[in-house]
Amino acid sequence: MAHDTIIVGAGVAGLRCAEELQKAGRRVVVLERSHSVGGRCATRRFQGQAVDFGPMFLHGHQPGFMQALQQVGNAELIRDWPRRIEGNGTPCQPEALRPGVQHITFRAGLKAFPLHLAEKLDVRLETNVVAVRVQPGGFELVAADGMLWPCRDLVLALALEQSLRLLETFPACPEILGFRPLLSMFRSLPCLTLILGYPLESPAVHWDILYPEQSDLLQLVALDSGKRDAPRFGVLVAQARPRWSRQALDSRVPPEEWSEAILDELARLVGPWARHPLWRHPHPWRYARADAASELAQPVQSVFPDGQRLGLAGEIFSPGGGVQAAWTSGTRMAARLLAEERT
Amino acid sequence: MSALDERLQELVERDRDHECKGFGADQVCVRIVAAANLPSRFGDFRIVAFWNNRDQKDHIAIIHGDVIGAEAVPTRLHSECLTGDVLGSLRCDCRDQLEKALVKIGELERGVVLYMRQEGRGIGLANKVRAYALQDRGLDTVEANLALGFRDDERDYAVAAHMVHSLGIASIELMTNNPGKVEQLERYGVKVARRLPHLLPPNPHNRFYLETKAARSGHYIDFSGIPHLQEQSDPVIVEGMAE
Repeated sequence: MAHDTIIVGAGVAGLRCAEELQKAGRRVVVLERSHSVGGRCATRRFQGQAVDFGPMFLHGHQPGFMQALQQVGNAELIRDWPRRIEGNGTPCQPEALRPGVQHITFRAGLKAFPLHLAEKLDVRLETNVVAVRVQPGGFELVAADGMLWPCRDLVLALALEQSLRLLETFPACPEILGFRPLLSMFRSLPCLTLILGYPLESPAVHWDILYPEQSDLLQLVALDSGKRDAPRFGVLVAQARPRWSRQALDSRVPPEEWSEAILDELARLVGPWARHPLWRHPHPWRYARADAASELAQPVQSVFPDGQRLGLAGEIFSPGGGVQAAWTSGTRMAARLLAEERT
Repeated sequence: MSALDERLQELVERDRDHECKGFGADQVCVRIVAAANLPSRFGDFRIVAFWNNRDQKDHIAIIHGDVIGAEAVPTRLHSECLTGDVLGSLRCDCRDQLEKALVKIGELERGVVLYMRQEGRGIGLANKVRAYALQDRGLDTVEANLALGFRDDERDYAVAAHMVHSLGIASIELMTNNPGKVEQLERYGVKVARRLPHLLPPNPHNRFYLETKAARSGHYIDFSGIPHLQEQSDPVIVEGMAE
């Protein structure tokens, strides 16, 4: 078999797990559905200017995670962003603003972190795994293009709904019996996100992030251009609350329409000028994050009759939330696979 | 005010600006913030409240007799279990374990229960209820229970070790059925003079342990069909039970 372990999902959890397994000498490949790594840890360029549109900053306190962030080369780490926080609304991760928690972002965009993790790894992009078969001594993954990927051990490092969907394709077997009811107890929160470009001089705001208290619609607005060197545009990123996002997604409101609603709300909160951006780009995150009441103690694994193992990792499989939890779950998943490896 | 109370107040004063480099990788530091009498139905105790720099939880030491500077102080580590300790739930044996520890220590010359506020084995009450919900549907598995509980975190031992240190306890006798706990505490510099097994007296609610052989699976179903989930990182041993 060409690979000891296949990891599905090149988000921070999957990449971190792969990194640790590869360091221990395992032959690892990461399969990723989209055209780039990072998952929700996302940055996009608009006429050359980086814009974060997943998390606005990374936060954490665990020494290992903080150290990993510092190892990211030439991305210019920015400490203590956001410095200026406006409004008393709750942040997406309630622990983000607690004392003792560090805040970090990158000049080049947050995606610098997953890109760094992926540097030495074999990551196959645009490889969409649609089904899993249990084989003697391993698993076989079926990609949407018909390619088959055999491996011994398998790690799903996806949003929990996506992991559940792949688990549905497994044959009925006692090994995964407990996984479905367990995962079904949780649900990811959606987040409709609108990226807005303005003339440089126009976003006359005096904060880095606004957490509005009085809005049923918006969770936060970030001045993303504040993180960049010599930006061409003033850029605001507006992220909607989970409930409002869910309603819009469930009733299939088209992006043009929910974008208008966000702009109206933005004008009310920030000023009439915000109603008229030079350009805009909507991004609907269906599985943006785990909610604060959803966290498991550790990643789970199941051993199949021939000793091949299936592991589940990701943000939800570690206490706390956000990118730190994803990273930690990847670390612990790898540690578990290595510690309990049969000889 | 007794001499012990005065010494406890001195510890509160001493800790007002206490700041050390911390215990363990997480650099856990705790302070004694208050101490008071706590007469209870289980004996005569003092309750000592701690602040710590890591979790937002007020851990507690329940002490009996003069433990400050003492050697070989009988010590029990108990993890908070709201359902068992307070509500008398029969889904676990926490209440029995706690009561037994308090009664025992109340009878001795001195002793301490470190009551750690890590509900649901560290991962929270909601997840414990989720684990119960899976049990109710007959869908609980070892993996699900691991994921929904047991964060037998070394940080918890670092907190406990610092608490022992703050109380000026020279060495302890650890009341536990889990030898791993001794090792964990020793790692943080606690002198463990010996381990005392923690035996529960038989009662109508734990009698089934004497007749089950399922000890190895860690899965107990009692006579009324209620599954018992282990909430403490300490296996239950009922007097008369074959280990």
